[in-house]
Amino acid sequence: MRGLLGTLLGLPLAMMLCGLLAAAVPVDWRQWLVPLMLLSLLVWAALIVLAGLARTPWRLGAGLLVANGLAWLLLQTTSLYGGA
Amino acid sequence: MRAATLKRHIDLHAWVGILAGLALFVAFFAGALNMFHHELHHWQEPAHDDAGPARDASLQALLDTVLANHPEAGQRMYLIPGDDPSAIWRDTVDGEPVWRTEHAGDFNDAGENLAVEGSGLSEFVNQLHYELALPKVGIHLMGIVSVLYGAALIGGLLIHWSRLKKELFALKHQGNLRRYWKNLHNLVGVLSFPFHVIFAWTGAAMCCVALLALVMSGLVFGPQFQSAFTEATEAWPTPEASGNPTAMAGVDRYLARAEQALPELEVGWIELRQYGDENAVVDVGGSVHGNVGHYAHVVMRGDDGALLTTTGPGNRTLNDRFLAPVYSLHFGDYGGLLVRLLYFVLALLGCLLFFSGNIMWCERRTDRQGPSRAAAVMLRLTLGVTFGVIAGLAVSFLISKPVLYSPWSAWTAPAERIAFLVTLLIALAAAFRAPPLTTARLGPLLCAGLYGLAPLVQGAFEGFGGWRDPDILLVNGALWAVAASLLLVAGLRGRRQRRAAPHPLWTGTARAAAGAAADPA
Repeated sequence: MRGLLGTLLGLPLAMMLCGLLAAAVPVDWRQWLVPLMLLSLLVWAALIVLAGLARTPWRLGAGLLVANGLAWLLLQTTSLYGGA
Repeated sequence: MRAATLKRHIDLHAWVGILAGLALFVAFFAGALNMFHHELHHWQEPAHDDAGPARDASLQALLDTVLANHPEAGQRMYLIPGDDPSAIWRDTVDGEPVWRTEHAGDFNDAGENLAVEGSGLSEFVNQLHYELALPKVGIHLMGIVSVLYGAALIGGLLIHWSRLKKELFALKHQGNLRRYWKNLHNLVGVLSFPFHVIFAWTGAAMCCVALLALVMSGLVFGPQFQSAFTEATEAWPTPEASGNPTAMAGVDRYLARAEQALPELEVGWIELRQYGDENAVVDVGGSVHGNVGHYAHVVMRGDDGALLTTTGPGNRTLNDRFLAPVYSLHFGDYGGLLVRLLYFVLALLGCLLFFSGNIMWCERRTDRQGPSRAAAVMLRLTLGVTFGVIAGLAVSFLISKPVLYSPWSAWTAPAERIAFLVTLLIALAAAFRAPPLTTARLGPLLCAGLYGLAPLVQGAFEGFGGWRDPDILLVNGALWAVAASLLLVAGLRGRRQRRAAPHPLWTGTARAAAGAAADPA
């Protein structure tokens, strides 16, 4: 159950965390999109491993949902989505 | 690491392994044979008469013939040079893109295509490797499986890090059977860990592209992602047709221009886009040897061959610097035959890793929780899939030549796939009927026999003199190496069985396993 939650909810979280990194680094994300995508795979796999450490599945699910929500809100403060 | 944390890591490692293990076994076993994809392509063809009419045909003649038969093929086509040059072009059937392949040898002097559908072994093995031969969904499934595999590797490293040195020398033929499997699993996993990281990461990168693009464009970058992705991953943007037909410079001019721009390039293919249109673009691609990321491109205009861009080692963007090694690291085509042979051995060892991982999970679960249907079913499923896939591919090889040289040669490719599927289903049914120990005893021996026989059948139909051909020799050698590996596994299993009683799960007396939990030694 933990692994399943980590796999499903870890994917969007990994992508959004990498998006936040892209927003933080002062280099146009288009110039390093491929390394960013490779990194996002590593982050996704790491999140699955971290998900396995949770004490209970419901805590993990709630934690991942909150983390996804927070990451999404933070992304809205950047100019990444649809930006020129 | 605290005991509770370690236990959670082990549980996750086991869960991920069980979920992804069988799919990875199929991918690794097919991947081992796929290391010789080009040679297999040669192996599957009917033995040629060297005085064949079109073997010296030029790429330009092939291009002209294909365009005369299919004018739309110029929108996107790859020309592959070689003894028998081929053209791979994109057709559209019911709105869906379909790739067609035609060889120079398929055409007579009048430009009529006389080709008869033949064997599709190399394509089938490749499809099994990257999509489990499941069209459309298979590649995405394998992408997720690759990420889970990566998670299992990270978890495995965390589990074993503190006792790495001790466990590296712990493979002994004494003690209980489960300990032996565990040590073997750890030894293979630790020794080949760096290569498994490469396989998992590059495999996930190639199979998850669509999934990542979907999520990244939807959540992070928006609609601009697609154009940025295309720009980051393609040698040159896809041109739009202007509708104005123009004379093209011709293949010889493109090759001369590429040699001038990048003299060390060994041409592997020529990609044509909108050929015949004034916006036509030609990409002469291939390898610059001596580099891990060895792929290179010389892109030029189609009408006058004017250079547009050159991409290769020492002349790459940051994106291309990361992208170029992904394919070559995964397939090991950067270092010659020795590296490919190493990858072949590593892939077979990977099969042993996934097989032993599943067996350990079944026995561990039975020991800890008592006899369970889940453990019994997983053990039989593992045995059925393992020997079914190994035997299935062997049968595909075995029937390939007899059907190819029969009056039903056009049915060779479907027959190979049907033979695989039927063998897999028979093996699964047998695994669920017979005691697991019987399957484990007979499976490797039977499969070894089939792999030993396949080159003999090929030789019987095409002449044993053909074995002197390096490509044929390499494929036949790989089949015999698989047979030898299976005999080695059978020998190890027999040796273990003589020294220690099998786990009750294997004999179908799993209830006794409840007692084993109290006496783990």
